[in-house]
Amino acid sequence: MGSYRWNWPILLADPYYGWIVSGFGNTCLIAVLAWIIAFPLGSAIGIARTTELRPLRFAGTAYVEVFRNIPLLAQMFLWYFVVPELLPQDWGRWVKRDMPYPQFLTSVLCLGLYTASRVAEQVRSGLEAIPRGQHHAGLAMGLTPAQVYRYVRLPVAFRIIIPSLTSDFLGVFKNSSLALTIGVLELTSQARQIEEYTFAAFEAFATATLLYCAVTGIVILAMRQVERRTRIPGTIAIGTQ
Amino acid sequence: MIELKNVSKWYGAFRVLDDCSLRIAKGEVVVICGPSGSGKSTLIKCMNGLEPFTRGEVTIDGISVGARDTQLPKLRARIGMVFQNFELFPHMSAAANITLAQLKVLGRDRATAQAKTDALLARMGLADHAAKFPAQLSGGQQQRVAIARALAMDPIAMLFDEPTSALDPEMITEVLDVMVGLAEEGMTMAVVTHEMGFARKVADRVVFMDEGAIIEDAATAAFFGTPRSERAQHFLSKILQH
Amino acid sequence: MEGGFDFAILIRNAPFLWGGMVLTLQLTGLAVAGGLALGLVLAVLRLSRIPFVPALVAGYVNFLRSMPLILAIFWFYTLIPKLTGQSVSSFYSVLIAFILFEAAYYSEIIRAGISSVRRGQIAAALALGLSNAQAMRYVVLPQAIRTMIPVLLTQSIVMLQDTSLVYVVGLRDFLTTADIVAGRDSRPVELYMFVALTFLVVCFSASRLVNRLRRRYAL
Ligand SMILES: Nc1ncnc2c1ncn2[C@@H]1O[C@H](COP(=O)(O)OP(=O)(O)OP(=O)(O)O)[C@@H](O)[C@H]1O
Ligand SMILES: [Mg+2]
Repeated sequence: MGSYRWNWPILLADPYYGWIVSGFGNTCLIAVLAWIIAFPLGSAIGIARTTELRPLRFAGTAYVEVFRNIPLLAQMFLWYFVVPELLPQDWGRWVKRDMPYPQFLTSVLCLGLYTASRVAEQVRSGLEAIPRGQHHAGLAMGLTPAQVYRYVRLPVAFRIIIPSLTSDFLGVFKNSSLALTIGVLELTSQARQIEEYTFAAFEAFATATLLYCAVTGIVILAMRQVERRTRIPGTIAIGTQ
Repeated sequence: MIELKNVSKWYGAFRVLDDCSLRIAKGEVVVICGPSGSGKSTLIKCMNGLEPFTRGEVTIDGISVGARDTQLPKLRARIGMVFQNFELFPHMSAAANITLAQLKVLGRDRATAQAKTDALLARMGLADHAAKFPAQLSGGQQQRVAIARALAMDPIAMLFDEPTSALDPEMITEVLDVMVGLAEEGMTMAVVTHEMGFARKVADRVVFMDEGAIIEDAATAAFFGTPRSERAQHFLSKILQH
Repeated sequence: MEGGFDFAILIRNAPFLWGGMVLTLQLTGLAVAGGLALGLVLAVLRLSRIPFVPALVAGYVNFLRSMPLILAIFWFYTLIPKLTGQSVSSFYSVLIAFILFEAAYYSEIIRAGISSVRRGQIAAALALGLSNAQAMRYVVLPQAIRTMIPVLLTQSIVMLQDTSLVYVVGLRDFLTTADIVAGRDSRPVELYMFVALTFLVVCFSASRLVNRLRRRYAL
């Protein structure tokens, strides 16, 4: 390491500074948009897996198994290279020629659908952690099964899984780096590009690493607050990490 | 045999044990009682060094428990302990639970250890259950295995921390019977329990604790006759009500 | 897609693809072994009472867990040659990245397993005269292992999938060889579908097995 020539100022020079800022912005944007897909979809699938309806349960299970047993990178390639070929001709042409921001939107979709499978697992395990007596007590009061979900089971389940959902959100944030494989200029790829242009490898990667760590820290702190605010009085937080 | 001299313990600013002194002579049975949270478990765990204490001295057979150069494992091997929640090792059969420390601590050979285990299981009336795992046994059976596990070390004294309070009423008797048998054989015993019938029957002395302090230490007859302190009277009246 | 699904292309390129698969399996095997060993050390250190060590280990683990794997791969791929001053084959750079990265995840699993054993169990073991090390060896670890093994195996399945990320440094694993063929023969549909299906079958069966194991050995 003795011969390494440090060059931190280069990161503030044009155009590298701008690259880092835009890369960081893209990373955050992809993560948030993908989460907006993943959270509701994953919750629905997780709920489906706990219902009494066999077809629903089966569909939910199939979704989860397919998405979590194919490498995310392979999924990225499937969405980007394969799906447009399999669509009806007009749609395929539109996707390939006219869809705006094709790489960006493809990675958001891919990450969103993948993360939904993880959210689904968390929601299911949260729901299953609630004693069956709660469900029966709700039904005995005359609530419909849907109402039992809405007023009894889900409010508790979501509180239980706040820590695991936090780590899933951080997962999608880190996984957004895979978008670089189809050409999205997010944080990791910008760091890589700076390294190629300037040979300031250590500086570029360290900056990217710091930004990832900072966001992780902030998200964890914020979610601890959420957890504290929503805690049911008299209960102990489960698995605060 | 077991001697505590001015033992105190703090958790931060909270005083769990307050200047406790107690002597248990060879062959003596001492029952320790007192309200929940009064420090009974902590006191009895100080006797074999499972709980470190802040001040004072505990000696077993002349060996200091708190001293730096004391080999605690060796000392503990000579004192049996029975827990409220049995604490059988769930991944081992009843027999393996009893054999483990004989092999690993005492260094007995397998045949000797096995013979000892079989004899103890038979004595506890559990000969048919040797191969079962803890989860396949009732609470009373589990606690008897735990007692056998402690006895397998040929202890010079036995410590019991509420051995029957996790049990259903019909199982309490089967465990108490075993303990009465031990006491009658002359085993030195310190027993934390609220079973006053047991205390009356076999205890030589009863110790009453409250808020970390030993309030009363009296011969059994004297304790049940006329407890000196008001707090002990109050406790007794509540516990004997039913 | 022109001319329907072309199976022949898979057969024609089977040896090349198999070579990629071999690299994927080698990398996974070595990284699992190295990651587990380092992870166990980290977990024990983190639960130890040596001054400063638990905090240091926690820092290491949390640092790596907040970094994307791709970035870790880039770090080691570019820095290890610079650090050592000699050219290290990219396979070993990447292997080191995987071991150090996965060890952080494994150590958390192992630590959780050890901590899940009730404290009373340790007290009971010590009360029998077992030493701390013996209590760990005969009482805590055998119980912890039952809860840990399924999670460790699941994490290893995840790792098998994660090795596909070596694509970013051009190491020829299964996915990368398929990508090369896809580009050369303009057959992305066949190749990527083949890769996805292969992983799906392998990983799905593996996780089924893990589930069976979990149920069989549940305490
Ligand atoms: N690790 C700890 N930190 C702080 N306080 C503790 C800790 N362990 C025990 N205490 C406190 O020490 C006091 C004595 O506890 P101990 O378990 O000895 O009581 P006990 O008399 O055995 O009660 P019980 O009948 O409920 O078993 C209690 O008030 C308890 O809250
Ligand atoms: Mg107690």
